[in-house]
Order: sequence, then structure tokens, then C-alpha cells
Amino acid sequence: MSYFDPGFIFLAVPILLLIYNLVPKKIRPIILLVFSFGLFIFISKWLVVFLILSILTIYFVANYLDKLNKKRNELINEEPDNKKAIKEKYKKYKKRILILGIIINVSFLFFFKYLNFFATNTNLLLDLFNIDFNFKIMNFLAPIGISFYTLEALSYILDVYYEKIEADKNILRVALYLSFFPQIMEGPIARYSDTAKDLYAGYKVTYNNFCFGYQRILYGFVKKIIIADRLNFLVNTVFDNYHTYSGATILVGVIGYTVMLYMEFSGTMDIVIGIGGFFGVKIKENFRQPFFAKNISEFWTRWHISLGQWFKDYIFYPVSLSKRMKKLTLKARKVLGNRFGPLISGAIALLAVWSLNGLWHGAGYTFLFYGMYQFTLILLGNIFEPTINNTCKKLHINRQNIVYRVFQSVKMTCFVFIGELFFRAPTVKVGFGMLKRIFTSFNLHNTLKSNQLFTLGLDIKDYFIIIVTLVVIFIIVILKEKNHNIRTEISKKNIVIRWMIYYILILSIIIFGAYGPGYIPVDPIYADF
Amino acid sequence: MEKLIEILEELQPDVDFNTVENLIDGRYLDSLTILSLVAEIEEEFDVEIPTVEIIPSNFNSAKSIWALIEKLKEQ
Repeated sequence: MSYFDPGFIFLAVPILLLIYNLVPKKIRPIILLVFSFGLFIFISKWLVVFLILSILTIYFVANYLDKLNKKRNELINEEPDNKKAIKEKYKKYKKRILILGIIINVSFLFFFKYLNFFATNTNLLLDLFNIDFNFKIMNFLAPIGISFYTLEALSYILDVYYEKIEADKNILRVALYLSFFPQIMEGPIARYSDTAKDLYAGYKVTYNNFCFGYQRILYGFVKKIIIADRLNFLVNTVFDNYHTYSGATILVGVIGYTVMLYMEFSGTMDIVIGIGGFFGVKIKENFRQPFFAKNISEFWTRWHISLGQWFKDYIFYPVSLSKRMKKLTLKARKVLGNRFGPLISGAIALLAVWSLNGLWHGAGYTFLFYGMYQFTLILLGNIFEPTINNTCKKLHINRQNIVYRVFQSVKMTCFVFIGELFFRAPTVKVGFGMLKRIFTSFNLHNTLKSNQLFTLGLDIKDYFIIIVTLVVIFIIVILKEKNHNIRTEISKKNIVIRWMIYYILILSIIIFGAYGPGYIPVDPIYADF
Repeated sequence: MEKLIEILEELQPDVDFNTVENLIDGRYLDSLTILSLVAEIEEEFDVEIPTVEIIPSNFNSAKSIWALIEKLKEQ
């Protein structure tokens, strides 16, 4: 099941919109909830129990935390002189309840995603020490989107704990926030304050929202069906048999994978945002022209934004600003100065962020390696920033200059390619093997002479279609970077031009889409994480 | 407020903290500088900045940081 299934997007969703608009306003959120649960059960069957358990735990935990907040405030009003002691006492109570909520939700995630990984590694250790005991490895099918909705669930109880929001008394609204069908498979990881209220408002589907929604969905289809699905065969061929290909072909495979991932994931986000828009729900953008970033650190504020923001809010700052870390920062600043002083606590927090970020993507060493690779790049970037800055000043290089900016983006993109190589490689060893071949057996001349690039499942027409479509998308991306609102600008054009654009989009998907015999569509990549 | 400007200028000498109003959005203060800034503010003004308050709107200008300190002092 994928959001790109025509039966889903062009049949099920329009039927839903029709029913949704026909029923009274009060019933509309219930329709969304029923549809969301229906889709979840269609994909994950009885595992819906775990979604329900998550909803119930966060609902009760949040409300209990709220009750403790109110009780604490009442006591402070009665005994203002005891304010500090009361605050401390209730902070402890609240922490216990919060930890309970976190443990329950994380244990579901651990059970489905990480138990086998830890069992396998423990067995290897036991074998190493000749201990005659092995944990049984069981194959579980995880509930769809568990990695996404668990982070949403945690953000909800953490926001109530920090008193950023109040607990919701309406369990159906909490349930809809956690299960909203377009977000369940690949996110983005929404915050309760961003979507819950609008989801439950029951706004009517207007003509404008309908048109804007389907425009965005069609754009997502272009990215997925024309580019990502076309590249799928090439990527699988190169990664599965890398040792038979030259370094140049492997490089094409690695670039192809990065483009495929970007098109598949951002294309899915177009669909999610388009569907959310039907119901008047503004789902936050998960991508903001990532390849225009100056460095890896900025790249992560533009790619999978909701995940980066989640780790920043709930791991990076709480770790780096814990009491011990703050003391460490103050001490280190006196010895190492303003720049390198906070680097120690920052690095510790960053290590926690990227270990968890790597593991969030999957239980495997390639993902852990991927996380450590990003951690190292960001840390080195921070260490060398003052040196690069001083060198540029001495050499009179303007860092805002377009040539320098292009150089920065190209350098950053090369680092991204290497990261994605390890991300996709079946093992870290294979990743290094591929990287080695790129540098030691590039053989561009022989690659072109032997037409190796045309043995990967794509012919010259396919490459041409991919390049032309990417150029069009690149132009759209540049316009977006320059703050042009393309959809609003299209809607201002006259009806002939507007429909011409729609027809071009629809026809290009039908004519140039990579579907039918000979093509294997990409599975929703992030749905597996 | 003067003491706050002093702390900020020590951390980032090249920025005019009396006028700049996009310290976070304009990337004048990165995550690491925020770590130093929070630790310094807490020590100097005897307040505790909860992580939930570390959002761009609270740190985009010296004025907004000062408003945050004032708010935390009252609590």
C-alpha cells in the first residue's frame, strides 16, 4: 500500500472528501478518524492495538500531568512562601509520570524495531565467550508508522510536561492527531499545537483547497512516478552488484539513490501536505531546498525538518542544558574560550542526537555508521569554522559571493552522497568497498566506451526524461528559494494557462511515468523506518 | 539590559545587539553560542531557562532575551 496507489488517491480520497463534506460539521472529525483507523487496520491489521495503547497512555499521562500542574498552582497560591519547595516536590511527581509514559511508548518501539538487533548482537557476544545460551530471534511485522507516531506521542506528553500546551480532555482529538492517515506512513512528525485543533475543526473542503491540494499531489506524483520509480532499477542493480561495475557507474548509482530518496520522500510530503490542505490543515513543510545548504549542519535544518527539530527540542537542548552540562560549559569556556568552551557539552549532546537519529532509521550498523558520519561532519564543521572564517578574511574571499556559495553547496552535496551511500549499502563493509572503487577504479573512458550506463535498466530516453524533469524541478526549487509562491502565482494566471499547466502535469505523469511492465515502483522508503 | 549586551558582545563581538532583530533566523547565534549564552545568563541573573523557552522568538534580539529574563525572574 502506498499513497501513490491511484485507487487510493483518485478514488478512496475523493469518496472520503464527498462524504466528509456532506455530513454535519461535528461529525467530520469522526469521519477522518474512522478513515484513518480503517487505513491503519487495512495495512497493519490487529497491530492497531498498539496505536490504541499509545493513544490511551499519552491521553491519561498528559491529563494526570495537567492535574498535577493545577494542584501545584493551587498550593502555591495558598502558601506563597513555600513556592520553591512545592515546585520541587511537584517536579519530582511529574517526572515520574512522564518517565512512565515515555517507557511505555518507547518499549513498543523497542519491541518491534530493535529487539532482534539487540538479541542478535547479544547472541554473538555469548558465542564469543562460549556461553551455551541464545536468545530466540523472532520476526515481527511492526505497526505501520510506529517510528513516526511514537515521536509524535512523546512530543505531546513532553510539551504538556514542559507546560507548553495543556492536556486535551477530548480523547478523540488526541486519537486523530496521532493517527491522521496521510501522516501515518512517512510523517512529517507533527506537534500537537500545529495540527490537532485544525484536524478536529471540521472545516469544509473548499474549491480552492481542493485545487491547491490536487496540484500539490500531482507535483508529488511527477517526482515519484517519473523520477524515483525510474531510478529504482538502476539503484538496485548497482548496489546489489557493485563489484562488477566501474567507479564511475557506482557514482551514478550513488547519485541516483540520493535523487531517488529525495524525490520519493519529498514527493510523499507533497501528497501529505496536499491531503492535509483539503481539510484546511496546514501541515508543516518537511523539506526546504536542502541542496542549497551551505554545510551539513544547515542541510539538516532543510531535509526531514520535523525529525531534526524533534531531536533538537527533545534531545539536544535537554542534554546540553542539563545542570551538569551547564556547569561544564561555564568551566570549559574559562579554559577554552567562547568558541570551543561550549563545544564539549555540545558534542556530547550531538553524539546522543546522532546515535539516536541513526538508530531511528533502523536497527543496523549501517544506520549507526550513518549517524556517526553526520555527527563527525557537524562536529568538524564547528571546530574548523573559526579557521575557515579567518582564512577567508585574510584571502579577501567574500563568503556571500555566488561562486563561493556554489562551491559550498557542491562540497556539501558530495558529503551527502557519501552519507547516502552508507545509508543504502547492505553493510558498512560494502559501503567502504563501493567508496574505494569510486576512488580507485573510476574508469570513465571505459565506462562510456562499453556503454555500461545503459546496462542498468535505463535507456537513453529514460536518462533524458530524468534529466529534463530534474531541470524543471530545479527551476521550481530556485524560485521557492527566492520566496516565490508558485501555486499562488499559477492561480493568478488565466484559465487557459492554468489548465494547460494541469494538463501538462497529468499527461507527463501518464506518458513519462515509470509504471507498467519493466518497472518496479519504489516502496515507500521512509515507511520502513 | 546593559549586562546582557555585555555578555552577548563577549560571545559575538561582530554583531550590533542594539539593532539586530534576527539573531537566530539570521544565524548570528548558533546552537553552541546559545549553550554559552544560557549558562552565562543563568549564572549572572539567577534564573533557570527551561529548554522549552529556547525558541527563536525568545532569542532573536537582545530585547526579547531581556523580556525572557524578566519573565523568568517573576516566576
